[in-house]
Amino acid sequence: MSDTVISIRNITQRYGAADQTDAVLALDDVSLDIRQGEFVCLLGPSGCGKSTLLNIVGGLFKPTSGTCTVNGRLVDGEPHPDKVAFVFQESTLFPWYTVIENFRIALKFQGIAQAEWDDRAMRALKAVGMASFARHYPEQLSVGMRQRVNMARGICVETDILLMDEPFAALDEQTRMVLGEDLSQLLAATGKTIVFVTHSLAEAVFLSDRIVVMTARPGRIKTIINVNEPHPRSPDFMLEPRFSEWRNECYALLRDEIRATMAAQRDPQPQSAGA
Amino acid sequence: MSDLAVSPNKIPAAPSAFAKALRNPLWLRVALLAGVAALLEIYGRLYADPAFMSPPSLIVNAFFTKIAPQPQILLALWYCVAQIAAAYALSVMFGVVIGLAIGASGFSRSAFFPIILLLYAIPQVSLLPLVVLMFGLGPVAKIAFGFSHGVFPIIMNVVAGMRDVKELHLRAARSMGASRMETIRHVILPHAVPSLFTGLRLGMTLTLLGVILAELYVSTGGIGYFTRVFAESYDPAPLFALTGCLAIIAVLFNELVRLAQNKLTPGKRRPPTLKNSVKE
Repeated sequence: MSDTVISIRNITQRYGAADQTDAVLALDDVSLDIRQGEFVCLLGPSGCGKSTLLNIVGGLFKPTSGTCTVNGRLVDGEPHPDKVAFVFQESTLFPWYTVIENFRIALKFQGIAQAEWDDRAMRALKAVGMASFARHYPEQLSVGMRQRVNMARGICVETDILLMDEPFAALDEQTRMVLGEDLSQLLAATGKTIVFVTHSLAEAVFLSDRIVVMTARPGRIKTIINVNEPHPRSPDFMLEPRFSEWRNECYALLRDEIRATMAAQRDPQPQSAGA
Repeated sequence: MSDLAVSPNKIPAAPSAFAKALRNPLWLRVALLAGVAALLEIYGRLYADPAFMSPPSLIVNAFFTKIAPQPQILLALWYCVAQIAAAYALSVMFGVVIGLAIGASGFSRSAFFPIILLLYAIPQVSLLPLVVLMFGLGPVAKIAFGFSHGVFPIIMNVVAGMRDVKELHLRAARSMGASRMETIRHVILPHAVPSLFTGLRLGMTLTLLGVILAELYVSTGGIGYFTRVFAESYDPAPLFALTGCLAIIAVLFNELVRLAQNKLTPGKRRPPTLKNSVKE
């Protein structure tokens, strides 16, 4: 595949030394290729290492073993802000700066020339319909508005790759659906490659081209589900029978994993933990 | 019952001035203070030993007859203000610089913060005689004692403010490519500002305490001297008047820090300046 932009090879992540009893194997031999312009969701039970994987791709964590390359360049625990932007939960906006200042600081950190700051910021804010709130402080906005701004901050740096770590987790359902639509439109308009961590089934199906379903700890790739539906997607997509089929497929896969985790927690014997 | 039937178009009449005043908590505060003053007045006039207690009216009277006309006492009050200001300025300078240095990394914090906590916990009053021996009877001892009280809460709160920065903010800054210095300048320091001001207010209270303690312990012509003179001559009215002056000084200094806090804390809720802003 020539258009592969992110290549994850045999990534293993362990917290704590291997010989210690409290060592946690978060990711176990994960390999995955992500193509240009693809929207990939990492879906899995909580604690399965999906955020860890995203942070490794973004260069925030250094993997215990394995390699990850972005655009052919090896990522080894060093962020590469010229190629990859992160969007976390809405609380990542700096509350001591106004909306526009939050953009300026992001662009400054990125090393963008000062002359471009405000143009880029306003373009990104207009894209999410928040241009009239540039002078507000984040706490003056509603949670949904803040997340729009936060998303726009990730967009304004104009990287090819956007990594999103449960960005909508703190939002109510209707707001996350609206933002999901925005995101789908953005993808269609800009051709960005997006890797998105979520534990919402509907969100995963609605947004993704591919859903990477992960196992409970230690995190491995269980299955990859292809969602063949063009972007931008409208809310009508959610009413289609195929939407429910994909969603149910994800649920069936996750259900086994969650049951296994619960059984392991209820009865922490070695043999049942491996079940 | 009939309330429910009121037509929705009917706008309730504006509340009267009296009703508005009644809703202001100020009246209760003033009433309480006035009540206490009245009780003190009655008790002071009818029952108290005039050698130990004075009714409020005599205290106010003493201020105008025995405090205000005496240039030495006014000068002593002025010195007191100057000493507090000097001690506080030193506390803020050293407190902020030392706090920033200690809070700059997890390593320096682990190394030095326990020492600061230990020093802060020492009851410094027991060292006051030593301070006076070291710095003499003049203003230096008072400034030194005010400084040693005021500096520690400032250090502690600067360090605490820098320590409590959100992990997610640090991670976001790192993912955007911020350098260590940029992270400190744009993430850690702004985050520490509210905590810094908590420290500045605590530091102000303790600086005042330190200076006045030193004043009372030994003083040859300052406020401490006059309080002793009034106390030892069984003349409570000017003593209370003088104490009232100190209280007013304390309130003014605290107000000053509070105003600075409201003015300078970034991201405080304030009305947006522009409705449809595009360019700054």
